[in-house]
Amino acid sequence: MSGPSIQCQQLGLRLGGVEILSAIDITIPAAEIHCVIGPNGGGKTSFVRSLLGQMPHSGKVEISWDSAPGSKQKNTIGYVPQFLDFDKSLPISVYDFMAMICNTSRPAFAGFGPGKRQLCESALERVGLKGKSKTQLGSLSGGERQRMLFAQALIPQPELLILDEPMTSLDNRGEEIFLSLIEELRSQGVTIIWIAHDLQQVRELASTISCINRTLVYAGPPQPFLDSDEAAKLFRFTRPAADTAPAQTTSTGATL
Amino acid sequence: MNDVYEWIRTSVQALAQQGDIPQAFEYGFVINALLCALLIGPLLGGVGTMVVAKRMAFFSQSIGNAAMTGVAIGVMLGESYTEPYISMFGFCILFALLLNYTKGRTQLSSDTLIGVFLSVSLAVGASLLLFVSAKVNTHILEAVLFGSVLTVSNTDMNVLLVVTCVVLAFGIPLFNNMLLASLNPSLARARKVRVELMEYIFVLMITLLTVACLKIVGAVLVEALLLIPAAAARNVITSLRGFVILSMIISTISCIAGVLIPMQFDLPLPSGGAIIMVAASFFILTTIIRAVFPAYRSAKN
Repeated sequence: MSGPSIQCQQLGLRLGGVEILSAIDITIPAAEIHCVIGPNGGGKTSFVRSLLGQMPHSGKVEISWDSAPGSKQKNTIGYVPQFLDFDKSLPISVYDFMAMICNTSRPAFAGFGPGKRQLCESALERVGLKGKSKTQLGSLSGGERQRMLFAQALIPQPELLILDEPMTSLDNRGEEIFLSLIEELRSQGVTIIWIAHDLQQVRELASTISCINRTLVYAGPPQPFLDSDEAAKLFRFTRPAADTAPAQTTSTGATL
Repeated sequence: MNDVYEWIRTSVQALAQQGDIPQAFEYGFVINALLCALLIGPLLGGVGTMVVAKRMAFFSQSIGNAAMTGVAIGVMLGESYTEPYISMFGFCILFALLLNYTKGRTQLSSDTLIGVFLSVSLAVGASLLLFVSAKVNTHILEAVLFGSVLTVSNTDMNVLLVVTCVVLAFGIPLFNNMLLASLNPSLARARKVRVELMEYIFVLMITLLTVACLKIVGAVLVEALLLIPAAAARNVITSLRGFVILSMIISTISCIAGVLIPMQFDLPLPSGGAIIMVAASFFILTTIIRAVFPAYRSAKN
């Protein structure tokens, strides 16, 4: 299996009269890890959503799926959102959430369809949440909820995986699990687009990166850009004043 | 269908005459009301869990208010005073579609927008109803506002039955997608769920249900029956299955008790009011249970 490659030509996005993104030309290679970095409010999430066709963008986005004869490609996209916004007192357990994801037409309150429970349990096991299946979503820690969101992206096995700042609320163990899963999926040929904030992780794992700040600042291999003065300027000196997000500092690297 | 209703009525009346069940069942309208209660109880309880999960309680309230305008229009257009269904369905569906369409195209937060629609629909509905009330027996107005089991007819039951089938046909297979679409629209879209379509289907389901339940629960209170059983169940339940089942049970018991208790004790209460009071007592009970037993307080808020 090989994930898709993605080509963008002159991608732009205007929302409510405000220019969010403009003139982005980029090619994201197949079966590699591509990190999207940039300052907060620079339009990273909007860029990824435009790639997925969820935004009224201009320009051209082409996802080239592997269409070799005999390929069992199903064009599956896995998506791990930044967070799950919901009423925390709702009585929805991890199992219910996963049943909602796995089942097609059988309502989640009626339990899993045939064979689906197995699928869900193995996904939960991969993210280290095996014993938490009956816990309510509201009782999970932020990191555990994030891991559950990763588990849903594994069903069915994705060919393109989109991660929207998945590490934000993760604890150390969660981070280890995520990093090893990302590596594992890459080795299986999955194309991974990862909005990342830990530059050290980007340096270690990404094959290519793009830096987005309203427009494309840089696209290419990570090393040259991360060592440049431009990156130092963008990430070290623009952030503190405007940032009100939870602390994203990690022990391993610089932050955006 | 009318023959089936007639058969049920005759059989139950026979049982009542033999003294096997309470004497109140000798009256056809009591049986009608009970049949409706048995239909709308589980239905509103089940759909209510979705309304609570999707935070759309006030949406159904504004549909209830819009139904008043629908009744007034119906009376003005010369529909039957007691069953102006064409105007009610027509106006409420238009109103719901307009509200949902506006919601997707405005910068206003959805509670502000629904608040505006709710008050406008109440103002227009109340004004028009008072305007046409000269033509209408005031008991009919009361029945629309607060529900009245005495006026349930075969037509009402047919409408309710058809709406039940429609809601089940859409609500069950699309339950997961509708829930996911409101929990995280981005994730839903990535999983190929048509989020906007799901919203429209849900809104139409609520509209049909609200109009069909008017005779029993009333325009003013139908939202409460969507909301209170689900809220009561949520107090003491930790899984989705338990949530749906308990909400359906509470709602069904409330409907049956709300219909029967006033008749049994000869109380001059509108059925809607009685149903909601029973449901509210369940809510108080579960709130107390949650407060007294720490096991129910495990979820962090």
